[in-house]
Amino acid sequence: MSHALTGRYTHLWFIGPALVLMVLILLMPILIAGWLSFTDYSLGGDAPEWVGIENYERIFTRSTYEKMFGATFRYVFVVVPLSVALGLGAALLIQSLTRFGEIYKTIYFLPVMAALLAMAIVWEFALHPTIGIINSTLELGCGTVLEAWSWYAAGCARNFPLWLGDREYAIWVVAFIGVWQGFGFNMVLYLAGLTAVPRELYHAAEMDGARSAWDRFRLVTWPMLGPTTVFVVTISCIRSFQVFDTIEAFYPQGGGPSKSAYVMMFAIYEKAIQQNLVGIGAAITVCFLGFVMMLTLIQRWLVERKVHYA
Amino acid sequence: MTEIHLDGISKSFGETTVLERLDLAIRPGEFLTLVGPSGCGKSTLLRILAGLERQTAGHVRIGGRVVDDVRAADRDLAMVFQSYALYPHLTVAENMLTPLRLRDLSFAERLPYLGPLLARGKYRALRQAVQEVAEILKIEALLARKPGQLSGGQRQRAALGRAMVRNPVAFLMDEPLSNLDAALRVHMRSELRELHRRLRATFVYVTHDQAEALTMSDRMAVMMDGQILQLGAPQEVYDDPAHLKVATFVGSPKINTLPGMIDAEGGVTRLGLPLGRRIVGAAPGPVTIALRPEHLRLRPTAGPEAISGRLTHIENLGADLWLHIAIGDGAHRIIARAEHEMLGTCSLGDIVHVERLKGEALVFGADGARLRFEGEAAPSNDAGETAPTTAVA
Repeated sequence: MSHALTGRYTHLWFIGPALVLMVLILLMPILIAGWLSFTDYSLGGDAPEWVGIENYERIFTRSTYEKMFGATFRYVFVVVPLSVALGLGAALLIQSLTRFGEIYKTIYFLPVMAALLAMAIVWEFALHPTIGIINSTLELGCGTVLEAWSWYAAGCARNFPLWLGDREYAIWVVAFIGVWQGFGFNMVLYLAGLTAVPRELYHAAEMDGARSAWDRFRLVTWPMLGPTTVFVVTISCIRSFQVFDTIEAFYPQGGGPSKSAYVMMFAIYEKAIQQNLVGIGAAITVCFLGFVMMLTLIQRWLVERKVHYA
Repeated sequence: MTEIHLDGISKSFGETTVLERLDLAIRPGEFLTLVGPSGCGKSTLLRILAGLERQTAGHVRIGGRVVDDVRAADRDLAMVFQSYALYPHLTVAENMLTPLRLRDLSFAERLPYLGPLLARGKYRALRQAVQEVAEILKIEALLARKPGQLSGGQRQRAALGRAMVRNPVAFLMDEPLSNLDAALRVHMRSELRELHRRLRATFVYVTHDQAEALTMSDRMAVMMDGQILQLGAPQEVYDDPAHLKVATFVGSPKINTLPGMIDAEGGVTRLGLPLGRRIVGAAPGPVTIALRPEHLRLRPTAGPEAISGRLTHIENLGADLWLHIAIGDGAHRIIARAEHEMLGTCSLGDIVHVERLKGEALVFGADGARLRFEGEAAPSNDAGETAPTTAVA
């Protein structure tokens, strides 16, 4: 032992434990998933057979998977910008308050803390086409000036949208709930970032003639929040790609009306677990990992090149 | 050239009063230093002048115009901060361009990419202005760098450059040298002074370092506890302090203070020895007698005029030699300047004798106010602008 500790391979003893753990619980599963994605493996079935790129071919040709990518990207492109912008806006507003800031922080953070499955049930009731509070509130507006809006008039004449049950609306409603649930977290990250902005920079900006709030924001706040923003956007992207529990709670039977809310995570779950098509599930997983990898690389590049000033 | 007046400025944060009815007139083109120990309100005063903080009472006038309700951005002053407060994401050139962009360009002209196309001529003029200032400060080579890539002294220059590009009414400087190392600080003193001569602009300079105030300013205002105790030329403040606190704050090493008594006829005695001159119009009682170390001289023998004590410490600064002497059973310590020849003649623990040069002692009353000798005129001292506590005997 003492000889080993002084020999040429000493370093292996130091990195060994971490290396073994990383290989076992991170790299191996990814490699196995990669290998499975080229097979027709199913749990408890025959020995897996090599099928080449057949699984990937399906993913990129069949309309189901086209819907999957459509739903996922719609969700991501709505939730990420909105939850980041709202998080930043809420943080700036709360920071400008002299009192009651803590109360607002708590209120906006509540959806983050709440169990999303339970909240999904509440939203399901609220969005119910006939007895839900949203449509009954909208009906109160019938016969007023709001009817000048053709969408509203159409709602009054026939009925208001089915929301979760309408394939035109489903993914947007789910995205809205995603924003509602997620922006409080971004707000907290931005509040932390704002406390790190030196006060003297605002004074310097004032002396330099930054008269409007927008000038101060452009000159000081936004650049100084750069590192925070990169982090917040990356986190929000990854969380949005991972959306699963709202879909599962609203549509346990397969991804919403005409699969309009058939997001990636749900597809993996449906294929690999419910239908025991592990091969195709693994292929979707590899695609998912590809997206996350891309995001991470972009984040690293931004962090190193653009937003760290010191 | 514009005059700046601060009239009866008070400032309190809740219960705490930081400034108390303070008056100050800043002459056009002068280098005025506000100096005082930390917490005396000098920075607050500067920030009130800048408009970054609002006074509780009183008025700020710039060139005859009351600017109490004018925001900092519109007072046309430039400020250099202790931390430099450069925008870390912008290069030095962009940092220096910022005040010009914000003041001279419209919103549309400031748009990224589009703005420079809209106002090509204006941008060229602004860049030219930045280039000229960079040449004065010798930072042309640094223009493309970001603040994170600069040393402390270079950042200091960049911050000065940002203040200089737009010919403001006055430059306000809040301890701009205190983040630099000692050697660079001494060097920057003379550079700033040089810059002031060259620009002929008004400088208002805040520092806690009395050496900076003495070496750089045209006039210095010594502030304590929210008041200006004395305002005058550095030599005047040093030679003729109006208050015991001023006397002890200005000068290094510190002025020697010894307890004394004043009798009914105005005669002053120090440790039982009478001084030659008399004080007129002061009530009898205890006083403080102050003597600068350079006004004490070593003498070989004891005598009625001499102060004797034990040598406790020799401080050799190369050019100067300061002797620390414990007198009166160690109850008091005085510092005296000595010539280098004495280095071999006495050692620690010896009894040494010093005498004072005639006519240099300063006497302060029990409240710290200066008491003047018979026939000694109170200095002109910008009369009304000094603190109300100045006692004219």
